[in-house]
Amino acid sequence: MIIMDYIYDGTFYGLLTCVYEHYYSRKASGIYEEKNYQYSIINEFKIIDTNDEKAVRVYNSLKEKVSKKALEYIYYSWLSNEVDKGCNILNFIEYGFSVKKDVTRHFEHEAVYPICVIYRKVAQEVHSFLGLLRFSDIDGVLVAVYKPDHDITELLAPHFADRLGCERFIIYDERRKKGAVSSMGEWIMSQMEELEVKTGTVESEIRRYWKEYFENVSIKERKNREIQYQKVPVRYRKNIVEFK
Amino acid sequence: MEKTIEKLKVLADAAKYDVSCASSGVNRSNKNKKGLGNASAAGICHTWTSDGRCVSLLKILMSNDCIYDCAYCINRVSNDVKRESFTPEEIARLTIEFYRRNYIEGLFLSSAVFKNPDNTMEQIYKAVELIRNKYGFNGYIHVKAIPNAEISIIRKTGFLVDRLSMNIELPTQSGLKLLAPQKSMKSLLEPMGDIGKRIIYNKEEKKKFKNSGDFVPGGQSTQMIVGATKDTDLSLLSASQKLYDNFNLKRVYYSAYIPVVDKPNLPSIYSAPPLQREHRLYQADWLMRFYYFRSEELLDSANQNFDLEFDPKICWAMRNIHEFPKEVNRISYEELLRIPGIGPVSARRIIRQRRLAPVTYDGLKKIGVVLKRAKFFILCSGKYHGGINIDPDLIRYKLGDMEKSRQLSFW
Repeated sequence: MIIMDYIYDGTFYGLLTCVYEHYYSRKASGIYEEKNYQYSIINEFKIIDTNDEKAVRVYNSLKEKVSKKALEYIYYSWLSNEVDKGCNILNFIEYGFSVKKDVTRHFEHEAVYPICVIYRKVAQEVHSFLGLLRFSDIDGVLVAVYKPDHDITELLAPHFADRLGCERFIIYDERRKKGAVSSMGEWIMSQMEELEVKTGTVESEIRRYWKEYFENVSIKERKNREIQYQKVPVRYRKNIVEFK
Repeated sequence: MEKTIEKLKVLADAAKYDVSCASSGVNRSNKNKKGLGNASAAGICHTWTSDGRCVSLLKILMSNDCIYDCAYCINRVSNDVKRESFTPEEIARLTIEFYRRNYIEGLFLSSAVFKNPDNTMEQIYKAVELIRNKYGFNGYIHVKAIPNAEISIIRKTGFLVDRLSMNIELPTQSGLKLLAPQKSMKSLLEPMGDIGKRIIYNKEEKKKFKNSGDFVPGGQSTQMIVGATKDTDLSLLSASQKLYDNFNLKRVYYSAYIPVVDKPNLPSIYSAPPLQREHRLYQADWLMRFYYFRSEELLDSANQNFDLEFDPKICWAMRNIHEFPKEVNRISYEELLRIPGIGPVSARRIIRQRRLAPVTYDGLKKIGVVLKRAKFFILCSGKYHGGINIDPDLIRYKLGDMEKSRQLSFW
């Protein structure tokens, strides 16, 4: 059998189109993102053009034949930063369609376990940024700049859109140069090349209060930096007020 | 600004020994998206201080100008410390500004007793009232009820906050008499009983009337000091068990006593805080709340204190070694929870998994079971993977060995 890699443009629908082609034209040995693909002379490859119609068909049949939960797992995995996520997702979908029921609980299966691990990683990062994201008040607009490992901005936005319903805010992902913009509880994703944050006097006043509070609430007799490093990794600290 | 910083320094420092930082258990959405904030049932930690404790709430005292003289406390009237007080408006502004910037999940307001208990409780009520009604804040609020305060003020505060708590501090009347002469068990337990009853009453009422407000939806909690008196783990833990059984408490917190003062009745100021003991008590508390253990199973008059080397669940399993090993593919959820190395999450996964096919030994690892502990106590499809005879001494040696090799140091 000749090995055939499918290459997609990095969008979720692009990935699903590859899955469609895998079933309806030629079996894929793996699915890779365009920018991560290692070209080689042994492997044959094919660049798949994203086709919304085909993608929606895969989307709907996943929802009906496997489960909504499985679809969520796939989506989270696609948002992740893992290089071989495409292949893992393909294996997972193949297994899901062959069993035709909610497979997210088959932890032990070799096609499911990697997806569970990636899903947990992404969900974990979402949860920690619900707490670690820091907003600054810039002329009445709340602006948060951060640099997550996985592409989680759209997973964070609904939480803050509900919480800060009466405010306008921007959550900006430095690494991917895009962000969520929200007003009155509604939000959209948008590409932004650069975002400049200038702090005013009130903003720096509140920051000083917070830093002062943070220093004083710690018990020196119980020092435990290890947990602090574990919970607030150094790579996140650049954007967190109290660690600046 | 400098004035506020000074107050923050003193009053955050004074509040740091109060442990409760939980913001979980209440799910409230931001109504019509008009106000500020919601409460997330899962609880969110916002940062971690250098002592490794998470910061979820703005934990602060209203004032540290106390009229009481509790020996274990740095704010007692006879101690020479700087006294500061916040106004309700200042508290409200800090809470709102911090919350908007996602520094915190809500407010945890406590206070020393200034002037008198009623006045203190009234000030706390005012601060909470401002935050809820003037600023339209929907986030999480936890306040301390002040012992000896008028019950009506505590009740009306209860309708505004998510959690009320009152610190017992010491599990016995004799301990209180020795260290906190102005407090009595009665002055603590009476309001706690009242709050507990009202929570149940409110739940019933809400079934009938749509518009009856929430009374302390996050439940009631308390805190006990570990190691200030000679009280054993047994008396602490059985006090907690009673509180869970009779007062419908959500949680009991334990706080290792950190010597802040040299007094004849207290541990010396040079003694280290009993952190390991506190840790074991928390583990036992978890066993009581999520693993269906009773305090009398974990400790009895023969074993009054926890083994500091092994966790309470292992110790229980060693004492009841005749019940093991157990077949993971056959036993019930409750029995699974009793195996060291298996928790609620992995127990649920095992149950789901074995509906499809028997759980294998390698599968247990993927499920998330801690096999280095569990392997001595389980059978997997009839096979024992422990590798040694089921003998408490051998198991203790094996587990202890691992413990030691992990801590191996070159110096």
